[in-house]
Amino acid sequence: MQEHWCVADIVPIHLYPARLEEVSRLSAHVRALCEAAAVPPEAMMDIELALAEAANNIIIHGYHGRTDGMIAVGVRIAADSVSLELQDEGKAVPEGLFSKCRAISADAESGRGIGIIQSCIDRIDYRSEGGRNRLLLTKRLNH
Amino acid sequence: MTAIISMDGDVALVEVQATRFDAAEAPAFKADLAKGIAGGPRKVVLDLTRVAFMDSTALGALVSLLKMLGKDGSLAIAGAQPAVRRLFELTRLDAVFRLAETVPDARALVRG
Repeated sequence: MQEHWCVADIVPIHLYPARLEEVSRLSAHVRALCEAAAVPPEAMMDIELALAEAANNIIIHGYHGRTDGMIAVGVRIAADSVSLELQDEGKAVPEGLFSKCRAISADAESGRGIGIIQSCIDRIDYRSEGGRNRLLLTKRLNH
Repeated sequence: MTAIISMDGDVALVEVQATRFDAAEAPAFKADLAKGIAGGPRKVVLDLTRVAFMDSTALGALVSLLKMLGKDGSLAIAGAQPAVRRLFELTRLDAVFRLAETVPDARALVRG
């Protein structure tokens, strides 16, 4: 399992303030790296969506109103996959959140973020240690 | 201004101005709707032609609009780009919202 946690150790990490208005900048950074590596547009769409939902969750639930938080992002692009690692120092997510399946009523105005990440991403790894949370999202590429 | 609202007979046309319609934009969009739609028109065309990206918070704002219009109201969405359509499909809300290619098509849908 250890090899799945090497993204942030081998690629540059970029820091963004954990604020909703910064998510577009974070997203543009990841999109530019993916476009430079010719990641197919369909995969890009899913990566961008999962990234926005994950960052929103960190800001809204993890930092929960704190304005001094940061999100660190690392991106590794291989021939057959894109891995994004998001790190934060907010509140950790509840145990098993990313593996649970949840029913959302059609008229719910929130609560769809995790389901969207699960639909868009092939592998989700999460761990929280020493006050630092690391979310690793891996999307397989079918060229 | 996140949304421009204009009237065409009994149909309100809501044009989302942001190219990225997300959690940062959704509160302003809801405020624009509260001023322009609440208690007024019951038939609404939402034009998403400019929107290249949308997240679940913005989608939640559309659910809120649908609820605001109520059972007697009618809403159709025009111009959803591929990433926006993908979001509707992933969340199964393509079965709840009526999606049309163009604003005239959406207007025809709400007029029934």
